[in-house]
Amino acid sequence: MSGAHPLHRVAVVGVAATEMARQLDATSAEVSLRAALAALDDAGLGVADVDGVAARWPGPGGTVFQPGSADWADVFGQPLRWVCDTYPQGVPGALDAAAAVAAGLCETALVFGGQAGIMGGSAVADYTRPDNEFIACWGSLTAAQFALVTQVYRHRHAPDPEQLAAIAAAIRNAGSANPAAVMAGRGPYTAADVLASPMVAEPFRLLDLCLATEGAAAMVITTAERARDLAQPPVAILGGGSEWHRQQYVNPPRYDEVWGLGADAARRAFGLAGLGPHDVDVFELYDINTYEVIRQFEMLGLCAEGEGADYLAEAGIGVDGRHPLNTDGGLLSYSHIGWGGPTLKIVEAVRQLRGTAGPGQVANAETALATGAGAGAQYHNVMLLGRT
Amino acid sequence: MGGRTDELEDRSLRPLTGEFWAAVNRDELVRPVCNDCGQSFFVPQFACPHCQSTNWDYQPSSGRGRVYSHTTVHRPPTPAFTAPYVMADVDVEEGWHLLAWIVDCEPDQVAIDMPVTVKFVTGPDGHRLPAFAPVEASL
Ligand SMILES: [Zn+2]
Repeated sequence: MSGAHPLHRVAVVGVAATEMARQLDATSAEVSLRAALAALDDAGLGVADVDGVAARWPGPGGTVFQPGSADWADVFGQPLRWVCDTYPQGVPGALDAAAAVAAGLCETALVFGGQAGIMGGSAVADYTRPDNEFIACWGSLTAAQFALVTQVYRHRHAPDPEQLAAIAAAIRNAGSANPAAVMAGRGPYTAADVLASPMVAEPFRLLDLCLATEGAAAMVITTAERARDLAQPPVAILGGGSEWHRQQYVNPPRYDEVWGLGADAARRAFGLAGLGPHDVDVFELYDINTYEVIRQFEMLGLCAEGEGADYLAEAGIGVDGRHPLNTDGGLLSYSHIGWGGPTLKIVEAVRQLRGTAGPGQVANAETALATGAGAGAQYHNVMLLGRT
Repeated sequence: MGGRTDELEDRSLRPLTGEFWAAVNRDELVRPVCNDCGQSFFVPQFACPHCQSTNWDYQPSSGRGRVYSHTTVHRPPTPAFTAPYVMADVDVEEGWHLLAWIVDCEPDQVAIDMPVTVKFVTGPDGHRLPAFAPVEASL
């Protein structure tokens, strides 16, 4: 293995997601712990095996100092060798943990997080109301920040609203079929249903936009050597990359700066994997809203700028389509759990590659793409995972 | 400016951005201008993003610009705001941009590249804010 890229010397060996709901009777820390223990159990490991944590501290609550990943050492009752507090979940967390494991800074890293007990009495989560002094005074919300990017795209490319609505309907119908989804059993949805739903921030209607729900997700990353004797077939990290255009929700995102965000990260990820975007069998894309789906297909180079809606209408995004995507129902319909949301993408990618994804399983999926955040947030990240 | 001002936070005391808000309280628009490279920037930052100089000052802006992008919000994040309202990213002519409302016209009249000029309004919390209005409407 000495010639292999460091990322290729590690594997994802355990994943878990808790129950998802609009409101859970628990704290964020409690559901995060549940997810962490379930991911360890999935891997055939225990708390005693963990020596790295990327989680932050999903307070309020707990007995802490300056709350962060190091506080989990107290909950786990044992010291840690590595912690990560920056963007600890989803792709950035997984890549940081993989790099730490590959470098020998720790052997088994737990990446986890979520939210619970915070939605009561509020129609939308606090984190959808950016509190920067140049944003909050205008009654901005994250959907409006993404809308500012999308409106320039519409002005220049005039995509077909029916095609876009069909994408939202397809993802929501995948969630409808997923018994674990918050929106399980709801629908089926048509493009007309999406277009008839109430406008939130133009051009986004309610059914174009992701959920804000409760639950937690986790994954375990360890060395390829260790992975060989564990409970599940290891899933390889084939490649990955991140781009940070600037901090989110301070300056308004600009179409000309961010529509292609992620392209450089994707080029590096596919380069490490020795693959191209056409080799991806299943896409677990960060679907904050419908336009983010076509943006990412354009960013990946699978079609030209302005052609994403046409392209996906022709290619197909269901389990039998050319580009099956968001097979669990995505952030639109399965769940979006704040900082834990990005990890859900990796959980579903791993289940697809194991062949245990449930009704959304893509036959013989060997390569999966998971992504995080998006252009309205002004950062984007991608990770390619593969069956071993 | 109304009798509520004395109940409000004095935004002019905010570090880094106090001078901007103090100007807004006088219905004046200012922006950070770098004394080393001469460029404007926004939001205020302790160092110029063009050359990293910490030697900059607030200078008056013409308040004239164009709509780079806009969205009409129909579901406000809190009940304090009354929908619909138009949020826009306005390119101001000195080479900086900011998020602001477009006022004095119907939401469906707002368009990308529309010329606008600053128009001070009072926000739902009683603070003055630098919004923008179509150039025609403000004449
Ligand atoms: Zn400068």
